Amino acid sequence: MDSVAGDTLNQAALAHIDALFGYAMTLARDAAEAEDLVQETYLKATGAANQPPAGSNLKAWLFVIMRNAWLNHVRHDQSGPRFVELETNEQMDDSGGNPHVVYLRKLEQKQVREAIEKLPQAYREIVVLRDIEGFTYQEIAMVLDCPAGTVMSRLGRARAKLRASLATWQRISRARAV
Amino acid sequence: MKICEDTCKRLNLYLDNELQGDERAAVEAHLQECGSCASVFKRELSFINAIRECGPMHVAPPALRAKVQETVNGAGPKPVPAKRIVSKAQVRLGLAIAATLLMLLSPILIWRVMNRSPQSAASSFALMAAETHLRHSRGQLPLEVESGAPQRISEWFANKVNFSVKLPNYQESSGQEKLYTLEGARLVGYKEDYAAYVSYSMNSRPISLVITSDSVAHPSGGEEIDARGLKFHYNAIDGLKVLTWSDRGLTYALVSDLEERGQQSCIVCHQGTKDQDLIEPLKLH
Repeated sequence: MDSVAGDTLNQAALAHIDALFGYAMTLARDAAEAEDLVQETYLKATGAANQPPAGSNLKAWLFVIMRNAWLNHVRHDQSGPRFVELETNEQMDDSGGNPHVVYLRKLEQKQVREAIEKLPQAYREIVVLRDIEGFTYQEIAMVLDCPAGTVMSRLGRARAKLRASLATWQRISRARAV
Repeated sequence: MKICEDTCKRLNLYLDNELQGDERAAVEAHLQECGSCASVFKRELSFINAIRECGPMHVAPPALRAKVQETVNGAGPKPVPAKRIVSKAQVRLGLAIAATLLMLLSPILIWRVMNRSPQSAASSFALMAAETHLRHSRGQLPLEVESGAPQRISEWFANKVNFSVKLPNYQESSGQEKLYTLEGARLVGYKEDYAAYVSYSMNSRPISLVITSDSVAHPSGGEEIDARGLKFHYNAIDGLKVLTWSDRGLTYALVSDLEERGQQSCIVCHQGTKDQDLIEPLKLH
């Protein structure tokens, strides 16, 4: 790969830093360790001996590097999650400016985030890869190094668990409101 | 009905855009004509959208973004620091001295520094070593190799770092009672390269030794103490005692939270050893 192509690739890789940091947080559940993982991922990805296979998805390739780095490093995880909360998320705003609708939506997002965070590691990971990062089943299979059928079944179980968790929360909320 | 059952089974595939052509068309056609399945679909869509609207759940901190930008800008064949030509015997001797001094000097130097003027700023290497020690103590930096055998740790570092790490079996060679234990090691990032992190424990308290090439890190700042031809830099960082020094091509940082002060603690650790001649020049007079 020539240097111009390499520079272009490296700049393209930089566009995925938020997604990689989010995935690192999903894996490590610790901001400092997640930062290390992100740095290590870019260090490896930009190394001369490590280039994405022709025609492959750059983002998925970066995720593969990160997951392999994490598997190499992490044996025990005793730290709790630390979210870097976004101040606003106006991209999906169709509330019509109704403050009550905005409030309810933020409340719902908070509940869903907390429910995702409480999922077991494998479920949390697959929900993030599919529903937050938008990878296809085939790309997730590549990142997780497992068959696409496993992706499908695990995602189904993860969503079922998430749904049950949210349903429980909603029942408790309703009971408290009464 | 079987068609409803089949459609519900394929609903997640449909919602995830994993169905193509006829399969996709079949699901869409059924949802048009079956109110019950359309209701299930609407509920599932609402649920999945609620998850998707949560993203992104995190944003990279600005400092991390800046560091990565530096990495990306400097990409290409990574400049590897020239390997210092140091014989294995020299390195072993250097580490033996390091191991001796790390146990000998800390309490004495700490006591001396506690009674002296304010320190100048700690070096980035000392700060990194202190942070690494804390993170390892909190369980956030697990060891990549766990072993109490110096030889095993030395072998593990071969080809992983740009310098030679040969941990001596100091306690055996000095004939002292085993007071501290080698636990293992891992790599830690420092200035876009790896440094060697070695973990010890004494009385269940962690002691960290971080090693890198002296072409990467230079000890500086803190209290300076000359001993046996070496210049040691002592800093108190976040309640930790951090000692840094360079010797024979390598730079070391020793981190602990030992509370013992003065020569008494040295004698506790090194009683019965041949190191009293090392302790004597460092005693307070």
